[in-house]
Amino acid sequence: MALSSKSADEISELLDEYGIKHGPVVDSTRSLYEKKLKEAMAKGKRAKPSSDKTYYREEEVTYVYRTPVRSEASRDSGTYMRSRPEWSEREYEQETSYSDYSRSRPEYRGRDFVDEPYTYSSPSSYREFYSRSTPVKSDQEAPKSSRLVPLWVQLVFFLAVAVFLYVVFSSMETNESLIGLE
Amino acid sequence: MSSTSQKHRDFVAEPMGEKPVMALAGIGDVLGKRLADKGFDKAYVVLGQFLVLKKDEELFRDWLKEISGANAKQQGDCYGCLKEWCDAFL
Repeated sequence: MALSSKSADEISELLDEYGIKHGPVVDSTRSLYEKKLKEAMAKGKRAKPSSDKTYYREEEVTYVYRTPVRSEASRDSGTYMRSRPEWSEREYEQETSYSDYSRSRPEYRGRDFVDEPYTYSSPSSYREFYSRSTPVKSDQEAPKSSRLVPLWVQLVFFLAVAVFLYVVFSSMETNESLIGLE
Repeated sequence: MSSTSQKHRDFVAEPMGEKPVMALAGIGDVLGKRLADKGFDKAYVVLGQFLVLKKDEELFRDWLKEISGANAKQQGDCYGCLKEWCDAFL
C-alpha cells in the first residue's frame, strides 16, 4: 500500500477508517499522517471501510443450519416462532438462524451444529430461508437435549389438550353421560 | 497554575509577531535550528502547523517529535505555550 502515492483525500479517508483524528492533509502534515497510518496498519487495528463490506454483527449471529428433519415439526415450530418469540432463543437451535441480514447465505459454513443464541429478526426472512433449507445435509440426530422442552413433548401436549377439550365439549352435548366432569 | 517557565510567560504575554521559533517554550537552540532547517523559522509558522493540526495535543506532539526530535517535556512545553497563546489572542 503505497501511501505516498495516494491523494490527500484518500489519506484523509484512510485516517477516518482507522479512527485517527486528523486535520487537513496538506504538505506539512502529510508525512505525519502517513506515519500514523503505517503504525495503525502495522498494529492491525480494525479498519472500518465505509460502504462495501457490511459486517452485520457476526459475533452475535451464528448460522445454525440443519435440514429440517422433522420438516412438519419444523414447520410447526416455525409458526411457534412467530407467535412465541421468547422461545426462539434456545429451543430452536436446530432451526436455521434467521438473521435476515443480507449476507450471502453460504456463510453458514462450519457452524452447523453449534448451539448458540441468535438474533431473532423479522419473520419474513426465515420464511424464505426455509425454502432453501432442504438441500443442506445435516446431522439427523439433532441434539434434543439442548432444547428445554423437546418438540415431541410439545406435540403430545398439544394433542392432549385438544383431546381434552374435545372430550369436554362432547360431554357437554349429551346430557346423560357426564364423562369426566364429575 | 502549574509552573511555567519565564520563556512561556514571556511568549504568551503578547502577540508573537516576528519572533523566532526559538522564542517558543520548549524550543532551544538545537531544536530551533532543526525546525528552521525544515522551514519553520518563525514562531508563527509553527503556529500555522499547530492550527492545521486543529490544535490537537497528540497530533502536535507527534509532529514536533517527528520533525525535530523533541522529547516529551519539550513537546509539552511547546504545546502548552502555543495553546495558551491561542486562547489569549486567536
